[in-house]
Amino acid sequence: MSVSIQVWDLPLRIFHWLLALSVISEVVTGEIGGNLIDWHGRIGVLILGLLVFRIIWGFVGTKHSRFINFFPTPARIGAYFKGQWQGHGHNPLGALSVIALLGVLGTLVGTGLFSNDDIAFYGPLFNLVDKSVSDKLSGLHALIFNLLAGLVILHIAAIVFYVRVKKHNLVVPMLTGKKVVPKEQTVPTEQSVPTTDHASSVLNVGIGIRRLLVALTISGVVAWGVESEAKYLAPAPSSSASVAAKPNW
Amino acid sequence: MKFKSKFALALICTAVSAAAFAGKDEDQQIKFRQSAYTFVAWNCAKIKGQVADHPETYSKEQVIASANAIAAVANSGLGALYGPGTDQGTGWKKSRLKSEFFEKPDDVRQVAVAFKDEANKLASVAATGNVADIKVQFGELGKACKSCHDKFRVKEE
Repeated sequence: MSVSIQVWDLPLRIFHWLLALSVISEVVTGEIGGNLIDWHGRIGVLILGLLVFRIIWGFVGTKHSRFINFFPTPARIGAYFKGQWQGHGHNPLGALSVIALLGVLGTLVGTGLFSNDDIAFYGPLFNLVDKSVSDKLSGLHALIFNLLAGLVILHIAAIVFYVRVKKHNLVVPMLTGKKVVPKEQTVPTEQSVPTTDHASSVLNVGIGIRRLLVALTISGVVAWGVESEAKYLAPAPSSSASVAAKPNW
Repeated sequence: MKFKSKFALALICTAVSAAAFAGKDEDQQIKFRQSAYTFVAWNCAKIKGQVADHPETYSKEQVIASANAIAAVANSGLGALYGPGTDQGTGWKKSRLKSEFFEKPDDVRQVAVAFKDEANKLASVAATGNVADIKVQFGELGKACKSCHDKFRVKEE
């Protein structure tokens, strides 16, 4: 007998797929360059907003979204390797991957905001640092991308491994939010009735929506603030390049 | 004895000054080319500002002037500033030229010619005054810059 339980809430799933799409777009725009580099910058700010949202959601989201419920502590990782871990959200290894991905993406966004490409692109916060610092951060940005590529490959390889070897499809739950588990498995870690896990995510819809709005507002304000920073600080290169201050010669 | 010591002094002076001037020509080449590209960057910023970021500031003559300036730099024979050993020296700052530059002359020719072609095309598109076309061609020039940066420039660390 198996039951379907709610593992990933809707905001988390939207976050996940938006992030995946954004990362793909970043690779494409970053590789092609040209005028697309401006989109690379804008999508980078979108990713900043997504990351801020994910961090807030890690405190106020539903059960399996919360860091406290899956943060990969040594005890949890140890238990996992002894085969004692039981749960339905991120397992401790997957959780390590989540933390690593968030950290690496955060570093990529962080360096990207201050970067320049020595062609015609200046990150929205370029003017807050020296050109030499910006150059270093731009180099780091390119270097750290390799880490992200490695993590993404690992992420996809793990999904393939789960489908092929462990006969678990991880993609479907990330689309539907639901996961089918043997009924007896819901007992030890969930509250005694299997449906409570599902219920916990829908019970207080009102509270959930209020939290969601707060999280969206904060992440929106952060992203918008960073993007508009570029306009407040008159960019060094274009201040000498602007039409306004123009003698006749 | 006196002559000998004068001779020794002269030798030392020569050696010291030779050491001091070693790489002087290379460093000068690096300075010239860093200056050239910095000047190009200024003109790129002007064009981008007027055709992409703030189209309301577009001035046909200014964009033509900038595009012509970039084309003039691209056509100025920059290859002469890439003498052997200029991957090592320091101009206004340390050169970031990869040493592979000297091992792949065909690739170098390709990116160098692309820069010239795209810069010349930008100058002719700028003359038409069609902002949308200028923006597109500006992007193509950016790609030419990027292809050389990707192939022959050390990433700053």
